Amino acid sequence: MESSFQKKKPEVNGAEESQGARGWLDRRYQLTPLFEFLRHKEVPIGSHWMGWYYLGGITMFFFVVQVITGVLLLMYYQPGEATAYESIRFLTTKVPFGWLIRSIHSWSAHLMIISLTLHMFSTMMLKAYRPPREMTWVSGYFLFVLTLGFGFSGYLLPWNKLAYFATTVGTNIVKSVPLIGNWMLQVLRGGQDVTINTLYRFFAAHVVILPLAFVGVIALHLLLIQRQGMAPPVGAKIAPRGMKFFPSFAMRDALLWLACLMALAALAVFLPYGPGIPGMDWELGDKADPLAPAYPGIKPEWYFLWEYQLLKEFPPHLFGLEGPQVCLLLIALLFGIWAIIPWLDRRAYRDQPSPAFSDFGWAAILFLTYLTLMGWDIGARGITDELAAMRNVARVCALWTLAVGTVVIVVRYWRFEHRWFILTGAALLQAALHGLAGISYLLSGLIAVVVAAIAIGISYTTRSRAESSHAT
Amino acid sequence: MRRIAIAFGALLIPVLCFGADQDSAGANSKLSAMLAAKDANGKPIISEEEQAYFAGLNDNLRGQLSDLVQKEVITRPEHLAILLGLGLRPQKMEVLLQNRCVLCHTDSESQSAENLFSVATGQPPTHMNIKEVIEDVHFRRGVSCAGCHGGDPTADFGHDFVKEWPEKDRQKNRAWVVQFCARCHSDPKTMHEFNPSLPTDQLAKFKDSPHGRTLLEQHDDRAPSCVSCHGVHGIRPAKDPQSKVYAQRVPETCGACHADPKTMEGFTRADGSPLPTTQLAEYRDSVHGRALLVRGDLGAPACNTCHGNHAASPPGVAQVSRSCSLCHSANASLFDGSKHKHAFDQHNWPECGQCHSNHAIAKTHDSMLGTGPGQLCGDCHREYAKDNPECMKTAEYFHDTITQLDQARTRFIAVSEKFAARGLDVEPINNQLTELGDALKKSRTYVHSFSRNSFQQVAAPGKEAVKRADELVNKATEEFKFRQIGLALSIGLIGLLMAAIYFKLRQMEK
Repeated sequence: MESSFQKKKPEVNGAEESQGARGWLDRRYQLTPLFEFLRHKEVPIGSHWMGWYYLGGITMFFFVVQVITGVLLLMYYQPGEATAYESIRFLTTKVPFGWLIRSIHSWSAHLMIISLTLHMFSTMMLKAYRPPREMTWVSGYFLFVLTLGFGFSGYLLPWNKLAYFATTVGTNIVKSVPLIGNWMLQVLRGGQDVTINTLYRFFAAHVVILPLAFVGVIALHLLLIQRQGMAPPVGAKIAPRGMKFFPSFAMRDALLWLACLMALAALAVFLPYGPGIPGMDWELGDKADPLAPAYPGIKPEWYFLWEYQLLKEFPPHLFGLEGPQVCLLLIALLFGIWAIIPWLDRRAYRDQPSPAFSDFGWAAILFLTYLTLMGWDIGARGITDELAAMRNVARVCALWTLAVGTVVIVVRYWRFEHRWFILTGAALLQAALHGLAGISYLLSGLIAVVVAAIAIGISYTTRSRAESSHAT
Repeated sequence: MRRIAIAFGALLIPVLCFGADQDSAGANSKLSAMLAAKDANGKPIISEEEQAYFAGLNDNLRGQLSDLVQKEVITRPEHLAILLGLGLRPQKMEVLLQNRCVLCHTDSESQSAENLFSVATGQPPTHMNIKEVIEDVHFRRGVSCAGCHGGDPTADFGHDFVKEWPEKDRQKNRAWVVQFCARCHSDPKTMHEFNPSLPTDQLAKFKDSPHGRTLLEQHDDRAPSCVSCHGVHGIRPAKDPQSKVYAQRVPETCGACHADPKTMEGFTRADGSPLPTTQLAEYRDSVHGRALLVRGDLGAPACNTCHGNHAASPPGVAQVSRSCSLCHSANASLFDGSKHKHAFDQHNWPECGQCHSNHAIAKTHDSMLGTGPGQLCGDCHREYAKDNPECMKTAEYFHDTITQLDQARTRFIAVSEKFAARGLDVEPINNQLTELGDALKKSRTYVHSFSRNSFQQVAAPGKEAVKRADELVNKATEEFKFRQIGLALSIGLIGLLMAAIYFKLRQMEK
């Protein structure tokens, strides 16, 4: 006799006719609406370069590579004073393909940050953050912050000399946070100094805390994108042309991912320790020795160089506060502004072009470029006098920044017909005043901000008058 | 009544204390006035730093200063400023404040310029610099001014020169200085009280040295006395980097006379030739001079290492190798057992010095072993050994073997760096490099045996290391090829997959 349980048929929802695996799944989990959604999902095309849409996917691809190679590294990595460095050394020299896994992990980390930065700036320039996608921007912003956290925490794990001292310098910055700086330093380091306790907590952060947080935020980010679709161009009155997400866009995504995989493999074989640029080099070198004197010329990873350089430009005391404290406040302010851009950009909010915010994005790029170039000490080679070297670095970096800025302005003017360059001009003015005229970085910045404010005031007044006369 | 008496007694104690305080406040007030004194322009005479130094002194030192002011040993704020401005550590300050000689001779008002201790820094140091005196090893161990000059340092006034000082011409004939210092330094009992480990044979050695004979027998004032090398006031232990006889300063101290043609004029060697004055310049350029003076290697020899200190004299031909063997013992013992030992003795050649020179010892080079013209082995053998073909072959064998090992080492270092940059495991190659380096070093040493068999034994591990390193380099090259082939295959497979997706996409979108 058959039991009622055996007799009971699975519930179906209009998909009884479907055959095969899809039918089997559909009868149990009612996937038809999801398939229908994906079948109809489209990517808007036609108004700007399609390439910007792939950057998010590429970033996610690098993240997946990080997870896979990270898990493989975890099979051999042993955190500990006597084992961390040794296990990485063993992995890269004795374990078959261990060198490849570590090299791909490092390359992928840097490429992920590059693609993520490009993704973020493309989103910013195309105003894809405007309603209703504000939360997509915010979740992406947190993904960016978490990625920087991944970079910072992962750097220490090989427990080599360079990582040790770079982490010492990097963590020391939080000491300048008003009131709770010392406490934060203790929490971050697990004590007053960078010790093996720091390694343990960085390891926990790198392999558990940050991945959990990242997966959570990326799930939200993807959910929002799938729910709302990709942002159409600003002011598109009629629906732009669409490209089917499945299979057309997804297959293009896959093509790019395979190209990235190919590039990763080639880079890992021919440049296993990075391209040799300061801050993008992961040769193991010597083991960390907390008692050894500090490593000369310690520099952070390239994506933290601008903050490192900005800190150097601040005097010891400013406005009654310590210089680093003021600098941290400024960095926090800039990060804060970046997070709430969707609400600051009122014209994009109304689905109108907002040239000022496009210009803000370019100004930010030039601001970061100038500081990063200076952080690399470009132009210091062959000069023994420290002061003369600093002046030459500022001069050479200012010339490079001005060259890049001029190209940017020309291309924007002729190709994209942009007419609003006040903030870009201010960024270039600061570089010129500091690098060419020899005025201090902060004073140059202040002059540039004042000039920009006056220019914006004049531009606003002129436009208001023109609008009122036009109305009359 | 009893209660009233107790209450009165209790009241009396603070009153008495207050009275006592009033007394000491009276003494302090004089010092306080001095501390607060201002000059004609209304500027404080005692600077802020000096005030801060005074404030940081302990009660004992402040009490001593107060007493000195009270007793009018220190009478002027300017004088007080000089003493405070020295910024001495408390122990040194205490020694200074107990020394009346120094206290008086630091006051510009009561002393003539030549008897006044200067405090200026940055000027060339003179023997009348108080900062030098304070650092003097004798002063620090309690032999202060009176130890040499006589008199009572605790007495308020008075001078009483010691009897051993000549009555006149003290500056002209300095021979008395040696005897004077030896008063203590040649007396084991006295020296035991101050520094039991210090030898007491300096005078005996000095008397027997060319310096001593010149000074004491020929009464030639150009010869040095103790103070010429050790200084007058401010004598420091030889281990103190500021001492004139500290290892790194010895060449300069000796060179003050020996590099000066005027001072050395008339002095001759044993063979009657004039004594050269090029030693210091030659030494500075030599491998030893660069090690000591440029690299700061205190193990490197200075003048006294080979010539001696108080018994300084030129080493004779027979003694040269003994001086060298103090450090280069392996080379020296190999040489002693070699054929060359006998030959060099016959020629009366100064063994090591014959090939390597003396003050101007240059870094050795493998080309010295060559047999061609202008090369050491070849030139010497052609002139003195009748071009013996067997010796020439041995020299060539040494030269070729060492050159090959050295070239192999240079090549492997470059390969190791190149492979390391490619991410290959270079540790095994580096291990072989270490073995090769050791064998090369030993081979260069065993050249001094001038024996082919002995040399072969130490060079053989080097040759083996070269073979093994070659195998490892081949293995690493294969590994890199494997990686390149693997990459090419991966790229091919990924490319195929990409092509498949691309064509499928095109087909779908048609």
